[in-house]
Amino acid sequence: MSSDAIKRAVEAEVQGGKVSKAALNKTMWRSCGCSFSWGYELQGNIAFAYAMIPVLRELYPEKEQMAAALKRHLAYYNVTNQCMTLNLGIASAMEEEASRDPSFDTDVINSTKIAIMGPISGIGDAFFWGTFKIIATAIGTSFAMSGSILGPILFLLLYNIPAFATRIGLMHLGYDAGTKFISQMSSGGLMMKVMRAATILGLFVVGGMCASLVSLNIPLAVSDGVNSQTVSDLLNQIMPCLAPLMVFAATYWAIVKKNVSSLAMIIIMTVVSIVGAFFGILG
Amino acid sequence: MIITAIALGVLAFVLMVVEYAGGRNFVTQPIVVGTMVGLIMGDLQTGITVGATLELAFLGATSIGAVIPPDAMSGSLLGVAFVINAGVSPENALVLALPIASLMLIFKNFYYGYIVSLFERRVEACAEAGDWRGIERLHWACGLGFAGMIGIVCGVSFAAGSDAMSALLSAIPAFVQTGLNVAIGIIPAIGFTMLAKTMLKKSNVYIFLCGFAVVAYFQLPILGVAIFGAIFALAMTQLTEEQAQVSVEGGEDDEF
Repeated sequence: MSSDAIKRAVEAEVQGGKVSKAALNKTMWRSCGCSFSWGYELQGNIAFAYAMIPVLRELYPEKEQMAAALKRHLAYYNVTNQCMTLNLGIASAMEEEASRDPSFDTDVINSTKIAIMGPISGIGDAFFWGTFKIIATAIGTSFAMSGSILGPILFLLLYNIPAFATRIGLMHLGYDAGTKFISQMSSGGLMMKVMRAATILGLFVVGGMCASLVSLNIPLAVSDGVNSQTVSDLLNQIMPCLAPLMVFAATYWAIVKKNVSSLAMIIIMTVVSIVGAFFGILG
Repeated sequence: MIITAIALGVLAFVLMVVEYAGGRNFVTQPIVVGTMVGLIMGDLQTGITVGATLELAFLGATSIGAVIPPDAMSGSLLGVAFVINAGVSPENALVLALPIASLMLIFKNFYYGYIVSLFERRVEACAEAGDWRGIERLHWACGLGFAGMIGIVCGVSFAAGSDAMSALLSAIPAFVQTGLNVAIGIIPAIGFTMLAKTMLKKSNVYIFLCGFAVVAYFQLPILGVAIFGAIFALAMTQLTEEQAQVSVEGGEDDEF
């Protein structure tokens, strides 16, 4: 242990910057509310902050620090419900480090969250909405079709046993991995490198999500006298997903450059959509 | 009739809360909903079998990512209730279930798109003040409000009957429904803007565009995006490191 690490450990003892098992467990169970306060704008962000509260309360007794941490965890978030605990575990380990070490760059907490939520949702959706649900439905309905009460019971058990095992397991996996990762990282310039890599990966994934999750169809027909095409077809010939890219660029410009609030942006989008649909431009 | 309507509304509310505060445990899937409706209305057998039929019918309608399918819960709840109540054949349950599931989707989209955004503003204010109790309250209020809305719509729908539901659905102008669907397609851009805001600079826009392009041109699933993104990120950090080493060595060479 270097003298730096010893100093940090002593400081941690003094400040009590360590999350208790009880708090981690509370956070784990709170992950069940992952989709409870879900919305289109920022999706599972309230649920994420809600789940982090037991951990944050132990780490940040002071109001200002608590406020900063809460704001951090209110960023856009979406994940397969049962896999949320992996993010919560890693975030808990990182918050623990941030509370001990004032020089810890807290931006890395969200970059890591963004980088991980996409891939685990890809795997998670495949397992839970694909594999487990199909197996539970196949067996459950085969009993239920003949009116047996075993049908719904087996359906719930077959789905929820792996679901809750995953939820519990990923919390510990995330916290342990996060702690180990940070202790390795704090030596040398590794932290900087991880920050950079996390930002690159985060941006790359956000770009990908924009293309797959933002959609806009423009069925308005344009004709050169011989052929008739829709605007969407034309735009797709230039570049696929060009319309979503333009939507993102306009939204970014309005919110970041013109300080339009996101609530105003939702209203603007709705009005434009309905007016566009009325004239047959959008649909 | 009224008592059954209230009982069904309460059932819908309770199932929604258990499902969404309990980790998506699938108690709102048609097979379970049908069983519960059968239990309440005194015809468990019909409830289970019709529930299973609807389970298979709604199998394709799963929510993945930000896309919300027609609401299978309210559709099957009312479908099964109408089958038991009016004694129509189980096959007709789906005919009754689909318009209700579509009607409920409009209510859900309204709540997800607008009501939750109002909650978001109050949550932000709480975070600003470090008021974690406020965030806990709002999280519960937001979810209970949603379940309450579903419960009320289910109860009223049963009391009004299935004909009234179809009439209401067709009374909404088509362009408003289309417009709302368009809005739902573009509203996620706001969330992605908030995410990108902290990371995006003039000097790294190309990374965002690269992620965008691999999906646009290759329809890469998000796991693939993450794998390519990770390789990209590793390669770039390694390259800059090697460059740094080269320039250090170069510096030493100059001294000789």
